[in-house]
Amino acid sequence: MTRIGINFDRRLILLLAALTGAIVAIIGIHIIRNQRVADVLAVIDITGSMNTRDMGNPPGSLDRLEAVRQSLIGMMQDIPCQSRLGLGVFSERRSFLLLNPVEICSNYDALEGAISGLDWRMAWQGDSYVAKGLYSALDIAASLKSDLIFFTDGHEAPPLPFTGVPEFEGKPGAVKGLIAGVGGSEKTPIPKFDDEGRQVGVYNQSDVPQENRIGAAPKDAETREGYNPRNAPWGALEAAGDEQLSSVKTAHLQDLASRTGLSYVGLQKAGAIAPKLLSSSEPRIVPISTDMAYVPALFALLSILAVYALQFVERAPMRRSPRPARPL
Amino acid sequence: MIFTNPIALLLLPLALLPLLLGTQRQEAYPSLAGFEPDGLSVAIAWALRIAGMAAILGLILGIAGIAVRERSVERFGQGAHIVLLIDRSASMNDTFAGRQPSGEEESKSSAAKRLIKDFIVEREHDRFGVAAFSTAPMHVVPITDRKDIVLEAIDAIDRPGLAFTDVGRGLGMGLSMIQEDVLQGSRAIILVSDGVAVIGRRVQEALRAEFARRPVNLYFLYLRTEGANSMFATPPPGAEDTPQALPERHLNKFFQSLRIPYRAYEAESAEAIKAAIADIGKLEQTPLVYTERIPQYDLSRWAYVVAALSLGLLLVAKLCERTIKRAGVIHAA
Repeated sequence: MTRIGINFDRRLILLLAALTGAIVAIIGIHIIRNQRVADVLAVIDITGSMNTRDMGNPPGSLDRLEAVRQSLIGMMQDIPCQSRLGLGVFSERRSFLLLNPVEICSNYDALEGAISGLDWRMAWQGDSYVAKGLYSALDIAASLKSDLIFFTDGHEAPPLPFTGVPEFEGKPGAVKGLIAGVGGSEKTPIPKFDDEGRQVGVYNQSDVPQENRIGAAPKDAETREGYNPRNAPWGALEAAGDEQLSSVKTAHLQDLASRTGLSYVGLQKAGAIAPKLLSSSEPRIVPISTDMAYVPALFALLSILAVYALQFVERAPMRRSPRPARPL
Repeated sequence: MIFTNPIALLLLPLALLPLLLGTQRQEAYPSLAGFEPDGLSVAIAWALRIAGMAAILGLILGIAGIAVRERSVERFGQGAHIVLLIDRSASMNDTFAGRQPSGEEESKSSAAKRLIKDFIVEREHDRFGVAAFSTAPMHVVPITDRKDIVLEAIDAIDRPGLAFTDVGRGLGMGLSMIQEDVLQGSRAIILVSDGVAVIGRRVQEALRAEFARRPVNLYFLYLRTEGANSMFATPPPGAEDTPQALPERHLNKFFQSLRIPYRAYEAESAEAIKAAIADIGKLEQTPLVYTERIPQYDLSRWAYVVAALSLGLLLVAKLCERTIKRAGVIHAA
């Protein structure tokens, strides 16, 4: 077809298509994609038992706190940008918020520094009421409207009273998230430090309370040797036990997880926790605008290549010519 | 120069195609030998080849996501590296009158939070770190130029606090954060506390040695509860003048004896905090080399612009194309 002397042939149409594609690519096509992100408060147990060296590969190469730090930093690399991470620590009987959740990618450096700065020396008291700490961490996470990962070995010090785990008063499942059990399954001695922070051996049996002697005595106390209702309500003997050794208390933590509606993950076995976190936390979707300009650009590229390729398809008009005619 | 989708660069050899092939329709002509090679035709032929190459190159680079990488540029400004050392003992949650805050009154920590956040936002070139202390010192955020994370850390300071106030070890934490920071510039610690305790002899000595090693400007913002002792007041003759009886006064004396630039502010209200912070802001105006991050810049749009212009040129050439055969004789190829 020829009009006003212009050939409307395949080449012209392909060139027009390529130009249109390039112009569309300049304008850009933005597709709003929904990205699943996490908004999570990580609360880390910094009580004494977290210094136990039974983590890492081979087991014993890392102490529990170091393993938690590494796994948190690894998690930050695994979850998508726009996710937010906050930090808190647990000691004694409550959790303490250090940092509200903050976007991970733009603050990566500082967050990594903050995680590396977590230390057992930040603990304000030696007790370790894990259940109460978890409940207060849930309160904080609820006030921040974020999910929770609670890293702990589940080692209660002093041990739980005979009445068992304190009641959870909140609504189970109101805050979603994970309890990450830290530690090996073997009982391992807990390092002991002096006031200056130097290790001075390990805890022995008489250093730690072996039985919870706060509150009422258990019912079977009457049968114990030397029992006296006023002077020796728990019996006259020292409590025996192996509370000076620590291992991850999986059953206790799973029980806490089912009471509070969280999921449980064993850190030593799981390795990376990001997939577990994303599957168990509140699905938070943020729209992320993705530029799809490469699609029309690819179309334009194919079109312009086709223009050149046409020369192979079209046979040269003069078969007899030894050389194909060159374009002007 | 970086590429977000570098695999597309494998297509780059395709850009050589216009050197071998043309976009114009081929015409049969018995012999070209009779034509003088004229300069204009040669120039046009090369221009079309180059335009074709530019079009293909532009499209491929655009698809590959060509971009300039994020850079840090050193600049000069006025400012400092500041560690905010915040008391998080339980008394910080009370009002300046020492009561539980009612709806009308702010607690000391929330007043401090509000004003410190304003200060951080205002100070463009400063780098901030945050440490908290109570019974034990707590490392919160290392010295950083990211303002969001510092603001979020300050946001957490009006949460319920802990029991005691160990200023000495808190200062030790602040100093160690300053040691870790390698960039040049003036350094300051802003200590925000509402009550003090005695610093033990050994911690005092350690602090003295640390402060002597590295000069740090120290600002002590004492949020005084109504009726509490002032740190500037000298006790009446006959009254006990020991660190145990008057810890504020003796802490102030200890800081004065450190031979570092030191200023103390006593604030009994939010306005007084504001004035003190403004004063600190004025003092911390030393010249500073700071780095500014220039974010990654996407060039793919410009690559598409080049491609579109080249394609436009090819199209114009195509529109100028005329056949040498008479119209109607030849069918469109």
